[in-house]
This record gives sequence, structure tokens and C-alpha cells, in this order.
Amino acid sequence: MFNIEEFDIKLDTDYLGRNFVYVEEVDSTNKFLLQTKEYQENGTVLLAENQTDGRGRLNRTWLSNKEQNLTFSILLNEGINPSLINIINLASSLAVAQSIENLYQLHVELKWPNDVLINKKKTAGILLESSSKGNKIERVVIGIGLNVNQPNFTGKYNIPPTSIRLEFKKVVSRERLLSELLNNLEELFTAVEHAPDKVLNDWKNRCKLIGEKIKIISGEETKFGIFEDIDENGFLILKTQSTKEKIHFGDVSLR
Amino acid sequence: MDNNQKLDFIKKIIKVVEKSEITELSYQEGEIKLKVSKNSPVTQQFSLPGNPQFHHVSLPSHQPETRNESGSQPIDAKDSAAEKTSDLHEIKSPIVGTFYRSPAPDADPYVQIGDTVASGTVLCIVEAMKLMNEIESDINGKIVKILVENATAVEYNQPLFLIKKD
Repeated sequence: MFNIEEFDIKLDTDYLGRNFVYVEEVDSTNKFLLQTKEYQENGTVLLAENQTDGRGRLNRTWLSNKEQNLTFSILLNEGINPSLINIINLASSLAVAQSIENLYQLHVELKWPNDVLINKKKTAGILLESSSKGNKIERVVIGIGLNVNQPNFTGKYNIPPTSIRLEFKKVVSRERLLSELLNNLEELFTAVEHAPDKVLNDWKNRCKLIGEKIKIISGEETKFGIFEDIDENGFLILKTQSTKEKIHFGDVSLR
Repeated sequence: MDNNQKLDFIKKIIKVVEKSEITELSYQEGEIKLKVSKNSPVTQQFSLPGNPQFHHVSLPSHQPETRNESGSQPIDAKDSAAEKTSDLHEIKSPIVGTFYRSPAPDADPYVQIGDTVASGTVLCIVEAMKLMNEIESDINGKIVKILVENATAVEYNQPLFLIKKD
């Protein structure tokens, strides 16, 4: 069981998680929060112990043991600036990294666009879904799957997985971690509005692939080049022999 | 007149109307047909034959006394201007990313040309950095044109669909 009191006591936010929905099981926290229009409060957090259809990019599945991890989504529906949406995306992974560093002093790396790695293994994945009408983004949900206390992983993965328990060698408090994460995230959202460059820099400082030769699988194409930088919109700049290309999405790995 | 000359001509007419007390002016000569009205902030449409692009010009709103002196009723003028305005509506991308017509590579497209859509119908997805943004129609109507190929890059504000308003 998730101890809501323990979570609440450490939550130090104005709006993130102030409307907190806890459910045993749902198909996908993202889908539920995006489609259930009765949830209107900006910053609503939906935490599910079990997702029957947890998703990643391209309908990849996200598997997670019941009551050991954190699978949740955050709803944003006020004052969403479409030009800052990618920075919000990067900030989400940065908040996860900062929280793990603060609480467990583990060394965390980020992989473009928003995977969180400990010792090169994936401990969190993030998928954002949004809906827009006209030129306005009306709702954004940030779905975060964080491997916390899962003791082992079976099956096949794109990137080898790990959990905080496996790296920290201890079972940790999910409640404390979630409150820390939302506290950091709310601060970062403010920073996105006022100092997006700082957020970008903090993100870049944790990305070890910048400057490396990489392979990027983007749709049906595989591209090779040097991961030169991320631009002011968060896109990856891939330098090839002849040109520089801006990459919107894809799976990045060392060449 | 070539298209540039036509545009210059239209701009001149707009200036004349703007400075005068005329609130509405219709003009037709050969293939040029235009109507300028300054009673409402409604977008004006000028159609240039041979040029499929529409040029939208929004006139600044004017002081009420100009309207009062004109004798024409602002509400009527607004209605008739709106009627003449193109009934084609553009759906644009709110973000930079990659355009997808279907929710997954092997799934059916959300919409096809000729489909009737309502406000709120999902038309496509634009993806940027593991953000999947569903774009909904903001009007009721019929899809008449899909302006972008599946799985190609789109820029901020790039038109994606043309919808004929109901």
C-alpha cells in the first residue's frame, strides 16, 4: 500500500500533487488522465499500483511490479506555452535525476530525450501525451514509470533495466521519493518559464552522450553521426560528414 | 496585372478605405473580386485567380463614431463579411515535430479526405521527443485536403489539414 500520509507530510508544492488520485489498477495512467475530462485541476497526480496497458513510445509496453515501483501521471492544463513544451519534457527527466541524487546520492545520467539511467541501466522512462485544439495545447500528461523497489527483471528490454533498490542496495520509501520528485518538478517548471537556458544546461550536464559518436534510430531510418548538442528547443543536433541535422525523436545509442 | 501588381492594387484600396469614412467597399473587375469592410475585426478574404493561396488581412478596428456616421449597421456588415469569408478552415500544428496520420504504424489513419469531423475529433499526432500530441479539430466540417505526408517533419504553425466548414 502507498501511505498517503507519509507522502503528504513531505510534499512541499503549491499545485503538483495537491489533487492526488490513488488507484489499484488502471489501463494506462496517461490515457486515463488525458481522457477523463472530469479531472480538471492543474497538477493532478494519478498514481496506479498496476497498469494493465502501461505504454511507452510506439506502443511499447512498460512493465512494472505491483506495489514496488512508481507509475504515475501528472496533468497540466493551465497556461501551457507550446514553445516550451520540449523544455518541460526535459525538465521532467531532470527532476527524476535530481531526486534520486538528493535522496540516495546515486550517480544518474540522462539519455535524450528523457530516459533516466543509473550505471547505464534504465531506471525511469517518461512519455508525454497531450491534446491540442486550434493552436492551443489544452492538456498535457506527463507519464513517469520509475523502478523503485523491484528486486529483479525478467524479459527482454531495449535498454537493460535497473531499480533504485538494486543500485542503492536497500528498499526505499516510495512516498518520500514521490514527494521529493514533485517538489523538484514544480521548482523546475517555474525555472522553465523564467530561465529555460538554465534547465537546458542542467539537463546537458547529465547527458554523457553529447560529443560522442552515436547511432539514432528515427522511424525507419538509422542515422549515424556526432551528437553535437541539443538546440534551444531541446532537439538533438546530429552532425554528419556533410551536414547538421535536427532530430525530433528516436532511440539514441553509442555507435 | 500580375499577382504582385494585384496585391499592390489591393493594398492601395485598403488604404483608401481605411482613411475614408467608407465602411464597406465591394469591387469587381474581370477576374479580380474583392470586398473591404472595416466595421468588424473579421478577417477579409481576397481571392486572386491563378493563385491558390488566400491572403488574409486583418484590419484594425475603428472608432465607433466612424461607424455611426456611416449609416450602415455594424452587425449586418459583420454577418455579410463572415459569409463571404472563406469556408475553408486550416488546422495548424502547435508544435515542431513529426506528423503522423495514425496512432501506430500499423493502424488506420485517424481521418481521410471526405470524412466528416466534429469539433474534438482527433485528426493526427505530432511527435516531438517522446511527446505525442493529438491534434483535435476545432470546428465541425469535412476534410477536403491533407497538406502533409505521413511521417514527415512539420514546423510550428504549419497548416496540416483544410476543413470545409459546415
